[in-house]
Amino acid sequence: MHCEYRQKIALFADGELASAEQQAVSSHLGSCPECSAALLELLEMKKSVRLAGNRFSAPLELRRAVQDKLRVRKTPVAFWQWGLAAACCLLVATLGFMAYSREQRQDTVIASLVDQHVIALASDHPVDVISSDSHNVKPWFQGKLPFTFNLPELGNSPFSLIGGKTVYQRQEPGAELLYGIRKHRISVFIFRGQAGSTKVVQDRGSSFTVEHWTEGGLRFYLVTDATGEDADQLASMLKEANRL
Amino acid sequence: MDERFNKEFEQLALPLLDPLYNFACWLSGDPDEANDLVQETFVKALRAFPSFRIGTNFRAWMYRILRNTFLTSRTGLERRNTSQQDEEGYDDAVVSHDTPELALMRQADTELVRAAIAQLSPVFQEVLLLADIEEMKYQEVADTLAIPIGTVMSRLARARKQIREHIVNGLGKK
Repeated sequence: MHCEYRQKIALFADGELASAEQQAVSSHLGSCPECSAALLELLEMKKSVRLAGNRFSAPLELRRAVQDKLRVRKTPVAFWQWGLAAACCLLVATLGFMAYSREQRQDTVIASLVDQHVIALASDHPVDVISSDSHNVKPWFQGKLPFTFNLPELGNSPFSLIGGKTVYQRQEPGAELLYGIRKHRISVFIFRGQAGSTKVVQDRGSSFTVEHWTEGGLRFYLVTDATGEDADQLASMLKEANRL
Repeated sequence: MDERFNKEFEQLALPLLDPLYNFACWLSGDPDEANDLVQETFVKALRAFPSFRIGTNFRAWMYRILRNTFLTSRTGLERRNTSQQDEEGYDDAVVSHDTPELALMRQADTELVRAAIAQLSPVFQEVLLLADIEEMKYQEVADTLAIPIGTVMSRLARARKQIREHIVNGLGKK
């Protein structure tokens, strides 16, 4: 008569028992020579069958043939698709060129405004209207510019208004306002621009800080050798004053 | 079918190329036929891959396609008609402890074991190949062959019993 565990030896060898049963059979094997002999023989046979049965491996031609079948057959590209692709390329190139041109133009504008700021610093008469009161300076521009703008109330801020004058950029009239902070000067240029607002673009790569933004349909350029924080503070005051 | 599907299928299926070919060789007994079987299996599987549910057993699915392809082939039909389905229980399939068969099993060389596998009828052979060569779990074998798990266990026991007998007889004649 066989041991009661004999039925479970194959399941044990094949790892098909639940962990508790696996544990029970494992404990039993230590005390049952009949089951342990049966298990050893079964494991030996499984090993022999595995070694002998793994006999054939796919020849190279079969591997290639299968890989060929898996390769996606690309459908021919229709004429209109080529046309569309070409149009897309042209559009991308045009937009890229426009962006590049705009950037180049912007760089030129900024360079000329930095020059304008340097001229103001070196000049004995940097402004045409001298006043620390914005209520005097702003009206001075009436009739000289085709647009209007607001100046912030400086109040307790560290900034002081020195005055202003008209400037031209690409034959377009604009305002230059000169502010002082400690021993530094800040030039703010205002031109007519597009509606809406854009965030501040900063350029602190050179010895001057330049910030550019649009607000209330006006283009603002701020140029200074003061700190970036000072520039940020005045820029936000100007933005606030001109927000529609 | 888009490229993403192909890529996904390739990643899952190509590692199975060797074992599938091995299985096909054993089933058909002919390398050329095995070659055709495997190619047909890959084509069918790729075509049916969009309907394959990710998360289910891909290996069992591939083997099932291969086996069904074989069974509908001329060789497969012939073998199916001549195979004997011995579905007896497996309780007597293990040896008694006091036989010298363990020592004999260790002496069995590869050719003898191959001959033992080859002489099995197809229903026992395929269960043995999947369980002991491909090391599939019983459930996976059951899924592949579309048979109940109890049938897997009884066929596997019978297959092993026949293998053992073949080996013992073969060694006894030496």
